[in-house]
Amino acid sequence: MSSLLVTLRHRSHLVRPFVLLGVLFVVFLLLPILHPGSTVGTVNFKTVLEILASLGLVTLALGLTMIAGEFDLSVSSTFLLGGMLAVQTGTHSPVGGALVAVGVGLVVGIAQGLLITKLKINSMAVTLGGFIALLGLVFVISGSNSVRYGNAAVGDRLDQPILGIFSVRIFIAIAIFVVIAAIFMATTLGRDLRAAGSDRKASRVAGVRVPLLIVGVFALSAMLASFAGALQGYSLGFAAPDQSVAPLIFATTATLLGGVPLSGGRGNPLGIAAGVLSLALVTEAIPILHSAEYVNSLVPALLLLIVVLVDAPYVLRWWKVLKARRGSRPGLRGADPGAAAPAAD
Amino acid sequence: MSAQPAVAVPRAEPRIDPVLLLAYIVMAAILAALAIFAAGTDGFFTMDNYRAILTQSAYVGVFAVATAIIMISGNLFSLSLSVTGAVTATSALALLPHGAFVAIVGTILFGAAIFAAQGFLIGAFGANPIIVSIAAGGLQEGIFLWRTHGATIVPPPGNTDFAFLTKVIDVPVIGKLPLAVFVLFGLVIALEVVLRRTRFGRALYLVGENRVAAHAAGIPTGWVIVGAFAIVGLCVGIAGVELGAFNGSGSLLVGSTFTYDGIAAAVVGGVAITGGRGAVWQALAGAIFIQAVSDMLLLRGYTQGSQILVKGIIVLLTVIFMRLYQTRSQR
Repeated sequence: MSSLLVTLRHRSHLVRPFVLLGVLFVVFLLLPILHPGSTVGTVNFKTVLEILASLGLVTLALGLTMIAGEFDLSVSSTFLLGGMLAVQTGTHSPVGGALVAVGVGLVVGIAQGLLITKLKINSMAVTLGGFIALLGLVFVISGSNSVRYGNAAVGDRLDQPILGIFSVRIFIAIAIFVVIAAIFMATTLGRDLRAAGSDRKASRVAGVRVPLLIVGVFALSAMLASFAGALQGYSLGFAAPDQSVAPLIFATTATLLGGVPLSGGRGNPLGIAAGVLSLALVTEAIPILHSAEYVNSLVPALLLLIVVLVDAPYVLRWWKVLKARRGSRPGLRGADPGAAAPAAD
Repeated sequence: MSAQPAVAVPRAEPRIDPVLLLAYIVMAAILAALAIFAAGTDGFFTMDNYRAILTQSAYVGVFAVATAIIMISGNLFSLSLSVTGAVTATSALALLPHGAFVAIVGTILFGAAIFAAQGFLIGAFGANPIIVSIAAGGLQEGIFLWRTHGATIVPPPGNTDFAFLTKVIDVPVIGKLPLAVFVLFGLVIALEVVLRRTRFGRALYLVGENRVAAHAAGIPTGWVIVGAFAIVGLCVGIAGVELGAFNGSGSLLVGSTFTYDGIAAAVVGGVAITGGRGAVWQALAGAIFIQAVSDMLLLRGYTQGSQILVKGIIVLLTVIFMRLYQTRSQR
């Protein structure tokens, strides 16, 4: 029994995001039956898929750095910055505006990546500075005001429904996920990234060019986040400076639901997409059920708590100690960091 | 050092690494530029302004101190400090009908309990501290909205039990400062004593530096982390009481920027984000430094945006400088 539990715990990560998505999808379809009076229509599915195109790309940005064993706190600021730049520079040429956003993202990402690899600084420390500085930059270039996008037709075209539940914006997001997933599977990059995330030294010995890979992943992360911001800005028709860390919290939760642990070394873009869609289904179910506003923060938080406990390294050991002592308290000494940590796989 | 004349003695290495020297020069130049900039700012070097800086540091300083404890314990930082600040500010006002004593003690214990529970998940189960803090923040937000129905909590009309908390105290030479400033300095002194003079304090540094080694040395690492988080909760609870008294109303919007301001202050003060190094007073110094720079920008008429931008740049520069100092000064 316990060996089965161990196997499930260590091997389930590949399918877990998709099982979760499947279950949530079925529950979502059954909402009108479970809760009479609520209706689920194509517009709800379109909203869910639109989240893939906004916060979903931010999640992919964060998730790729997490697979590499790093953490890009700055994604929520880069997301805002991308939107602000695109809205301000893309009136005549939306593609040009998006390119400006992505270009600035590239510079930001390379700068952060170089600090992390050249000086070997903890990525949380570097991207914390990046997060605050870029947030300030967004406030400065916008004059602390919401900025309207001068070309409303672009947003209409991006969000025009296609086949009921899709739109150009959603297709762009799906294409990005598919291309990055394909690169992950077809080349050694995905394996190298996971190797770098699970054991830096061993992967370096095995010939992975870790510094280049890390700079690359931070550059890609910042480009994805700022491109998501550009799409969002065009779609909403404005961009606003905002001190909220909600995008970061969504991205972290969705990444974890998508099978990427905080310790890194595991996960892939398709799992991240499943995590995003799962969380999007949960957030979309709340207005359908006419639930109170508080459920909106409570449910994702509870999900996150469950995921973090499932992934916590000493939970299983605690359980064993509890069973062995039969009722006597294990005490916090039982939490042995060395002995209980599962081998990274 | 005994001389070995037969062997060609290699040229002695320079005592200071050139890159580090450059970093020192850049840092000194930045500080000098800031000082010149400050000197040119009307009203910066005045007693009134010093008092303003201290007053504005009073709340963010408590969050910086709380962050420093988390960082020293090796658990990075918490992303839910300001949510708990808002929750405790509201609980202080909600408990006020039971008397000021119950409200203050109850709120501080409430804050300690919120964080001790998170410390338990982190210490006992090895759960990731950042994720635990995000989840705890969401839970608190949800429960808060559920219990208050989104309304703003205000103290009972005419109740002045908290008035003493917002009093200003006249100190000779310095002048009038609010009570919160004295609470902050008292807290820093008390925590310095705990961290330096008690077994718990030394254990905390060891756990933060190397949890496995601390465990091997027989330290109950889980309990130490629970204790550290309980102290963090006490600090946040104290800040919550003060914020409740100061604002006279409790909502989730209370001090929404304190989380990042606290982290930035601890980092700028030189507390190591990776654990085991740094002191509580450094976080306080960081908070006052950031506040002084923000104050100068404000006096010169710069916007809120440029203040945030400069804060971010200061954090980045400190992180880079600290790293260079750590890796290169020991050679």
